[in-house]
Amino acid sequence: MAFERENGLEERAVEATLFMAELARNLKTESVSRLHPTPPWRIAPEQSVAEAVALMREQRVGCVLVCQGEDELVGLFTERDLLRRVLAAGLPLSVPVAMCMTRDPVVIHPKDPIGAAVRLMEEGGYRHLPVVDADGRPLGVLSVKRIVHYLAEHFPSTIYNQPPDPNVVPRNPEGA
Amino acid sequence: MICPHCSYDNLPGSEHCENCLADLTQLDQPVAQDRVERSLMEDTVSQLQPRQAITLRPAATVKQAIEVMLRHDIGAVLIVDDTGKLLGIFSERDLLTKVADPVVDHTARLVSDFMTPQPTTVRLTDTLAFVLHQMDVGGYRHLPVLQDGRLLGMISVRDMLRHMTCLCKTYSK
Repeated sequence: MAFERENGLEERAVEATLFMAELARNLKTESVSRLHPTPPWRIAPEQSVAEAVALMREQRVGCVLVCQGEDELVGLFTERDLLRRVLAAGLPLSVPVAMCMTRDPVVIHPKDPIGAAVRLMEEGGYRHLPVVDADGRPLGVLSVKRIVHYLAEHFPSTIYNQPPDPNVVPRNPEGA
Repeated sequence: MICPHCSYDNLPGSEHCENCLADLTQLDQPVAQDRVERSLMEDTVSQLQPRQAITLRPAATVKQAIEVMLRHDIGAVLIVDDTGKLLGIFSERDLLTKVADPVVDHTARLVSDFMTPQPTTVRLTDTLAFVLHQMDVGGYRHLPVLQDGRLLGMISVRDMLRHMTCLCKTYSK
């Protein structure tokens, strides 16, 4: 009887090796567009930092795209820029965004694999990647928050069954 | 739920076999599908090697907090009292939503006026699955790590990404 059970466990182990590379594979094959990047919030380079901050607060986002005209991405203005280049530098919020944005940000294309986006974020410490089409027109923004959600939904039974507090166990079995 | 010992068909979720009293709890244990999932289920926060927390007293000013964040190149500082008890977290998001103001300069004010009080924390012994869940549901980028109720350090979403992609990389080789 004990043998049977051990056998069962062994089968499970074999099963586990078969599915070993699932996340690794998906990171390579699934594309950024599957994550439905959020719409890009645009601001013109001559607009003020205060306007950018107001837009970011209103939309509850951590970054806005700085675009010349409708479609030319010239920079990115993020929370980190606000900290480093505005508040720490003691600049007033009335300066134009062009003065304190991140120029030529690292971008990603909708067809690129998700794994490439994760690698860029992890290595560069970026929280946002503008998603642009072949002509460089901004289509959206991919945030690290979306990546975290992607990773979490990859293991639904493990992640979504987490208790509110892992150290508290109910005294009685739950259920109807 | 069929008992593996006597083949008796029990109600789903039973802890013991009705017929032979064998322990059935192990049968319902979740099984990891791959190594990343196993790591999420079994590895704890200590695996991420939490960085030493950068802390400030509540009496510090916003200006000081900004300086500290710049010097250490971090996005959040922890606010602790004299005994080391965690009071709050002050992050770039607080700067964006509360401090940045086109009219009034808030940088001379106290950091405790703008911090997020009583942030969500994790324990050194919590599993990575719990951490990932907290980050996903709460949208947190930083989580203070406690050990026996004392502040130990901080982990960020970047540590989590690094850990998971590292596990993925070791496969492909």
